[in-house]
Amino acid sequence: MTSDNDRRGGLLARLRRGRSAAPSRGRRRLGAAVRLIAALTLAGGAYTLFAPGVQAQENPPLTGAAAEGKALFDVSCVTCHGRNAQGVEDRGPSLIGVGAASVDFQVSSGRMPMARQEAQAGRKPPVFTDEQTRQLAQYVQELGGGPVVPEGDLSRGADLAVGGELYRINCSQCHAFSGGGGALSSGKYAPSLMPASDRQIYAAMLSGPQNMPVFGDNQLSPQEKADIIAYIQQSLQNTQDPGGFNLGRYGPSTEGVAIFLVGIVALVFAALWIAGKS
Amino acid sequence: MKRRKLDVAAVPGKAARELDDRFQAATPLRKLLNKVFPDHWSFLLGEIALFSFVILLLTGVFLTFFYEPGMTEVIYNGSYAPLRGTPMTAAYASTLDISFDVRGGLIMRQMHHWAALLFMASIIVHMMRVFFTGAFRKPRETNWIIGSLLFWVGFLAGFTGYSLPDDGLSGTGLRIASAIMLSIPVVGTWVTSSVFDGDFPGTIIMSRFFIAHVLLIPGLLVALISVHLGLVFKQKHTQWPGPGRTNNNVVGERMFPRYAIKQGGFFMVVFGVVAMMGGLFQINPLWYFGPYEAWVVSAASQPDFYVMFLDGSTRLMPAWELHIPIGDGYVIPPLFWPTVVLPGILVALSLLYPFLEARQTKDYRSHNLLQRPRDVPARSGLGAMALTFYIILTLSGANDVIADKFHISLNAMTWIGRAGLLLLPPLAYYLTYRICLGLQQHDREVLAHGVETGIIRRLPDGRFEEVHQPLSMGQDGHGELDYAGWVVPKKMNRLGALGPAIRGFFYPIEKPAEAPVSPGHPPVEPRPDREKIGSGDTRP
Amino acid sequence: MSAQTQTSAPGEQFDVNDPEATRFDILREGARRDDIEIVHYEPQYAPGSKAERRLVRVVVGLFLLTGLAATAFLAIYIWWPWEYSLSQGGDRFYTPLLGVTLGVALLALGFGILTWGKKLLPKEVSIQDRHEGVYSEEDRRITGETMLYMADELGVRRRPLLGISLLAGLAPVAAVAAAPIVGGLIKDPHKSGQLTTTGFAPADGELIRLIREDGRPLRPADISAGGQITVFPGVSHGVSNQYANSPTLLIHLREEDAIKSREANDQVGHNDYMWGNYVAFSKICTHAGCPASLYEQQTNRLLCPCHQSQFLITDNAKPIFGPASRRLPQLPITVDSEGFFVAKSDFTEIVGPDFWERP
Repeated sequence: MTSDNDRRGGLLARLRRGRSAAPSRGRRRLGAAVRLIAALTLAGGAYTLFAPGVQAQENPPLTGAAAEGKALFDVSCVTCHGRNAQGVEDRGPSLIGVGAASVDFQVSSGRMPMARQEAQAGRKPPVFTDEQTRQLAQYVQELGGGPVVPEGDLSRGADLAVGGELYRINCSQCHAFSGGGGALSSGKYAPSLMPASDRQIYAAMLSGPQNMPVFGDNQLSPQEKADIIAYIQQSLQNTQDPGGFNLGRYGPSTEGVAIFLVGIVALVFAALWIAGKS
Repeated sequence: MKRRKLDVAAVPGKAARELDDRFQAATPLRKLLNKVFPDHWSFLLGEIALFSFVILLLTGVFLTFFYEPGMTEVIYNGSYAPLRGTPMTAAYASTLDISFDVRGGLIMRQMHHWAALLFMASIIVHMMRVFFTGAFRKPRETNWIIGSLLFWVGFLAGFTGYSLPDDGLSGTGLRIASAIMLSIPVVGTWVTSSVFDGDFPGTIIMSRFFIAHVLLIPGLLVALISVHLGLVFKQKHTQWPGPGRTNNNVVGERMFPRYAIKQGGFFMVVFGVVAMMGGLFQINPLWYFGPYEAWVVSAASQPDFYVMFLDGSTRLMPAWELHIPIGDGYVIPPLFWPTVVLPGILVALSLLYPFLEARQTKDYRSHNLLQRPRDVPARSGLGAMALTFYIILTLSGANDVIADKFHISLNAMTWIGRAGLLLLPPLAYYLTYRICLGLQQHDREVLAHGVETGIIRRLPDGRFEEVHQPLSMGQDGHGELDYAGWVVPKKMNRLGALGPAIRGFFYPIEKPAEAPVSPGHPPVEPRPDREKIGSGDTRP
Repeated sequence: MSAQTQTSAPGEQFDVNDPEATRFDILREGARRDDIEIVHYEPQYAPGSKAERRLVRVVVGLFLLTGLAATAFLAIYIWWPWEYSLSQGGDRFYTPLLGVTLGVALLALGFGILTWGKKLLPKEVSIQDRHEGVYSEEDRRITGETMLYMADELGVRRRPLLGISLLAGLAPVAAVAAAPIVGGLIKDPHKSGQLTTTGFAPADGELIRLIREDGRPLRPADISAGGQITVFPGVSHGVSNQYANSPTLLIHLREEDAIKSREANDQVGHNDYMWGNYVAFSKICTHAGCPASLYEQQTNRLLCPCHQSQFLITDNAKPIFGPASRRLPQLPITVDSEGFFVAKSDFTEIVGPDFWERP
């Protein structure tokens, strides 16, 4: 570690000095590791419990919630994702192994079920209740395992400044500095983060929905995810703009529109009045 | 001896006499006070630029008290929690301090930025007014050139100022600027390393930009603006044609008191609008952008609107790389054409335009009367063409925002921009030309046949026709009038030379004006030896 | 303006000291001397009329409003809570309130002045001669001859050596003025090798590790398939703007994409640039130097947000759309004995925007 410390260029050290109130990185990392192991054990346990079942028989034994989820799945999702979520060609991918995180994200943000086939599923009012979402997630989880969003407060003990730094290096290139989202190639886009809940942000990082890269717990630890979530929720989603109306935070383009529509128009009217004959 | 009583009323007169004994200022002062300015709303557009420049100087001086152009690394420890503990340059930290830790600093910063946008926007609008009315013609070519230069110097002032905070967004712009310098054939690498003192971004660029932004460029602006105004003063303002207005006179108000009062009031209005915008509309919220780091970028990275046309041209440029197979082989990157060559062509065209037009029309006379855009269809068409070109480039500079917010494919936006840039300007030329001709024709029609009255008459043979009110009395009531280059009345209640007889700004107030005016006031009449009041261009 | 009893007869010589002459007469005479004819001059409202009194009230009201708003500005400036906090406090209204009060104060002042000038002052139409072409050919000739005479007096034409020697003397002086500026600023771009090397160039035979933004070195297990991470050279100040050309994007491709990518690599002779399914490309766009980092994990496109150049990662980051003309340079990577990613060598192509003498 000492040689690594030398190579860091001092950035981390300084970041750490700034976060005097937050728990030390070491302790946080330990906590993160514990949580990770717990999550893995759970997932692994679920897998060892049910994986043989998947291979052995057509209808694996499901827990109560998962059975409820299967019932919902067979009504709303089976058309595209197929029986037992094995996918239907050209309609919907297999959901084996995508994990509860993916379901959490797609269903709670209303992206799934899709209204129609399109390049990219957009956010809509969710079709299912929280309870139903959990049941669906449980079902998909029990089918093939995968990443799971932990329960509880997802931004606990977060450091805003570290979150901001991580946001700018990992997220802002697509979701923009102010979190408003942006265009990707050929009609695809990174959505706005304004309506995103902490669970949705967490789930999106874990599962990498659509064209978003995956930010697994190996890359961004749960604590780092918490930092990012705190930054998004407390800084970007905060409508407290100190400088007045934020013009949608679209940057210089709306500022340019404003100077013509407000500034120039107001002053031209003033000029018309000043030089008017009346 | 009787003490001399001090006559208070005589003091100013006495003091004035004493002063004139020393400076002989009475005659020049009177000449200064006695200066006639024509009055039209479009003549106030340039003033917006002038006044926003004054606001820029005022707010800018305030900002220099707190800004530090340093690139040494500091750890931010100010009021803005999401950045506390982040390493950044002193320049960015001091800008954050202006925004959060200097009382009233944020509104000053925002007013400065809005005033900068207003400065550039009003220059563009003012330039359009001058172009479309032909005010740049002889003898005012020099002032047109100075005005064009003012746009580009203002552009530089804006870019250097925009870069000073050293935040994530402006740093990206600076990086692109360095790439543009690199792209210049032969000397590119030398220019870049000389400007940045070695590697990009180096450690000195903020100091250099700072001195350029607060001393060199404003100095140049002040000099150019002084000459610009001095020439307007010396050459006297152009005026619209109209009753009593000729190429050899100026009809309007004397500078003092009314014209000057209007100017002072308008300054306050401009200042007020900038203050309102500075307080109510957030601009450049650089606390979201973080410090500049070469690996950090945001979706929808744009420069301020007056640089956006260059960003747009860069986005639309196809990936044409030029290889020159001499020696080891040399490269002219695609970045060179839209960012160095295109602005060069634009500068040259705008500077030369007055001379090109004079050459084309073989018109080398002096013109002090403006032309209505409809009367010069070719020039108006060219102007519309240039404007369309500029607007498409500017919109393309924001094409990712447009694509995202209006759900259009980003790649489609690029192709639309490329096609639009080639097709729409000629179309704009054609349409403007036709519209101008149509308006001209309608003017001539009214002059020949009179104003439409809305009264329909049935002829004995059963046909219907509208009664026209002729503007002049010929033999049969259809005497044709010459077009005088000014508004032709086209409604019955607009007849008469002095414009609308009804009052009201947005809607007409039909109430007659109160009580006849001018009781006991001098009925002023012209000196008989003056030329007769005519109309139109009667220059010999 | 005071009422006037008598107008001077046209064409007559005006006597300024005439006791009968009013101030307006004198003013108009002055204007005439400056070739200004005041052809129309009358108050818009009769003095003391209802309309005039109403206008005066409006102007007075506007001026008082200015004072009121300015006072409000001061009060807010001093007493309103202004220190920024992230919570929903009153401080977020500080700047807008300052703007509104200052704006109202200035606008009321402006419109007060304007109403005063526009409505309460007499309306006027004056005509001034432009005096163009007033200077006669004679005047021009006199000035021209004077200048030519002065040139003759100097005798430059008769004594050409004077002029030549003066030019010869002045030219170096001009160069002296320019030399410190040019000489001080100029900097050889090729000396430091900044254009051709990055922080990943092996130093002292030791391969450089790929590190994260917080300085930790990176193991293959740290990125999931479909993930990407920005990496930096593991040298002193590697994560800083001192190495503005070094930031690199490390991508863990999915199996089928990795196969495509390897095939493409083989075609350009980059056979061993990948390590497993991991591939590393420079993050600095070859077009204008922005960080091209909008990685679409399904289409494997990499988009640059500045000018929308798009690169296909599975085809050696070839530009497939937009103004970029050159593919992103690839960093050859492997894993060292401790299991961390290292760069096998520096980039084998020039990183960053193009320039004239790029090899």
